[in-house]
Parts: sequence; C-alpha cells; structure tokens
Amino acid sequence: MKILHLLLALLIGLGLGLAYSWYISPVTYVDASPAILRSDFKDQFRDVIAASYVSTHDLARARARLSLLGDADVIAELSAQAQRMVAAGESFERIQPLARLAADLQQGFVSSPATSTEFAVISTPFAADTPIVASPTAAPDVTETQSTAETVVPTLATATTSTVTPTTSFAQTALIPLASSTFAPRPTFTPIPPPSAPFTLASQESICEPGSQAGLMQFILMDQRRIQLAGIEIVITSNQGEDHSFTGFKPELGNGYADFVMQAETVYSVRVVDGGILIPDIIAPICTDPNNGKYTGGVLLVFQQK
Amino acid sequence: MTTSTWIKIIIAAAIGTVLGLVYGWVIDPIEYTDITPNILREDYRADYVLMAAEAYQSEQDPETAARRLAILGSEAPAQIVTSTLAYAEKNKFTESEIILLKGLLTAMQTYQPQGVAAP
Repeated sequence: MKILHLLLALLIGLGLGLAYSWYISPVTYVDASPAILRSDFKDQFRDVIAASYVSTHDLARARARLSLLGDADVIAELSAQAQRMVAAGESFERIQPLARLAADLQQGFVSSPATSTEFAVISTPFAADTPIVASPTAAPDVTETQSTAETVVPTLATATTSTVTPTTSFAQTALIPLASSTFAPRPTFTPIPPPSAPFTLASQESICEPGSQAGLMQFILMDQRRIQLAGIEIVITSNQGEDHSFTGFKPELGNGYADFVMQAETVYSVRVVDGGILIPDIIAPICTDPNNGKYTGGVLLVFQQK
Repeated sequence: MTTSTWIKIIIAAAIGTVLGLVYGWVIDPIEYTDITPNILREDYRADYVLMAAEAYQSEQDPETAARRLAILGSEAPAQIVTSTLAYAEKNKFTESEIILLKGLLTAMQTYQPQGVAAP
C-alpha cells in the first residue's frame, strides 16, 4: 500500500513537471537558425539572398547562405519560389534574381558580368585543399556553428577593380567544385555579346510526341556561342490576351528553357523582349498517332542572339 | 497515515516533478518549426541585414530595403541597421561590408514610408 502511494505521488509529480515544462514554461528559443523559419519567411530569405547575389556575384556565399535554410534541393526551391511568384503576378524585376541564382547554381558559375561593365570582377577560385579557417572574431560566419569548433568557410578571393573602363565585358568560367581535392585551372575570360544583342529565330519545329503535354510551346534562348540564357522575357500574344514567360525557371530543362501551353486552334505571336522581332502565326499542330488518332502537338522555337 | 509516510509521499512527488522538468526541458523539449525571424541568432540577423545592404547597393530602393528589414522585428529599420553596424564593427566585418551597412543606414535614416509626410 505504501509503495502504491509513493508511486502515485511520483507519477503526479512527473505529470506536474511535464505540464510545467511543456505548457506553462516551455523552452524559449532565442538563438534560432534560419532552417526553422516559417516557409513565408524562408521565401523572404531566398529573395534577399538572390537580390544580394545580383549585387555581389558571390556564388559561393549565396550557396552557403541558401544552405542555412536547410532545403534538400536549393535549386528546386529557388525555381519553385520563382514560379510561385510568377503565378502570383509579381514583377519580372523581383523574379529575375531568383531565376538567375538558380541558373547560376545549376551551371556552377556566374553567368554575366558584375555590373554595367565599369570594371571587371574577377573571382579567383581557391584550391579546395587550402581552406580558409575562420577566426572566432571574423565577420559573420554563414555556416551552421552551434559549437565552438573551428569552421571552414569557403570563400572567394576579393574582387579586384580597375578604374580603366574596358571596352568589352567578360564571362567567368566555372568555379571549381568545393569538394574537389585537386587544384582548379585558373579562370579564363571570354568575351560575351552585349546583353542587348537581338534575338532571331534560329529554328521552329512542330513536336508530335504522343503522351507529351498537348499544345506545349517550348522556347530555348541562346547567345552567340549557343550558351543558354536565363532570365529572358518572352511575350506571347493571341486574341485571348498577352502572356509572359521567362527562361531559367526550369533549370533542370536548361537555363534558356521556357514554355507556355497553347490552346488548340488559337493563333499566337511570340516576341523576345530583348530586341527580338515578332514571330507571328504560331499554332499548335494537329498530329496523328499510329492508330490514326488525332492529338494536339507542340512547338519548339529556338532563338539565338545575332 | 503517519507523518513519515507523508514525508515520503512528498519526496516522491518532488522527485517526479524534477524528472518531469528534466524530461520536458532537456530530454524532449518543445521543438519550434515555424519561427519568425525576430528570434534569429545575432550573427544570422547581421548577415541578413548585410544581404539587404548588398541588395540595396544595386537596387537603390529604400522602400524595398525597409520592407526586408521589417521582418526582423518591430524596431525601426534604422535602429536594426544601427545594431547590426555595431555588431559588424565588433566582429571585424570587412571594410567594404561596413561601408555597405553605413550606406543602408543613411538610407534608412532618411527614408519616409509612403503616406508619412516628412516633418
């Protein structure tokens, strides 16, 4: 009987303790990490990371910052957020940084010159086997550091500037993979065409593939060197109104890829905003399958800068 | 029941309470998953403000910058940047980062939200 009383008292005490620690005075978080932010705040975080990246062109730092959010696939999250923003009717200016960061992460290097070409930004990759060890008093460490252990921070060398105005702009070759244990080749620079170079229609073909999405108008936009370009706006018009599509939102299909679903028997016109001419009279083709069944096919338009 | 029995019961209850508190606070505390940015660790907050400053450098849009800073809490944007600047100077941020933060601070000090008339 005595033991029963003691056991009962112990259980009551345990219950009171749990109630106090879980409901009355639970653990309060004061030093939280971005990984446990609410999803809308994570979106805001990605938005700022992308906007910052457009300014700094520091791909390694952007990648490190995105990793703080704990996403399994940062590129997919960026693309998904960009598509949510398109669906919500956000402006192109707000969406483009996300698409561009996703595309650059996908291809592994900064896709365009730093700024309006007043100076060339040179990001020199460092060898992965000579990491920089952050000192405890160093500027903010964007890696997860819950302990006091030293943290290896991947960085890029400081950008160098020149007061001499260059006559051309440069694209940077791929950064070395961070996990690589070998020395990377020194970066080389290749001229890229000015961003305003007009696009011309390189090819147009009907796509008849049973099982593919009906009426899918696909775009691939490339520069002079046939490198796909992200963040290019395409205007599609028909008698039903005007739609806008942007390259780079589906980097898994190519940085210069964009698509749009056509209605059957509707005539469309397409124009690339950056200096493209109007491509009229585009209509979803009617295809025939092996059983003589009719279905709506798609169209593939390839644009290339002159 | 005797006095000693009551004492034993009270001790058992106290032990149970302590065990419950240890379990609830240490072993299996409540886990938060949908937090707001105002309780981010200081270095994460500072890096977020630095990102806003980097973005502001190219955008030059104080309204967007103020909106981005607003998610960090109810303090005025200028106050948030001031705190970050103090953190940055204390933690040896690079000179270019300090300059960016000062640029954002200047913008936030002169920024007037839409609909609020300047004094």
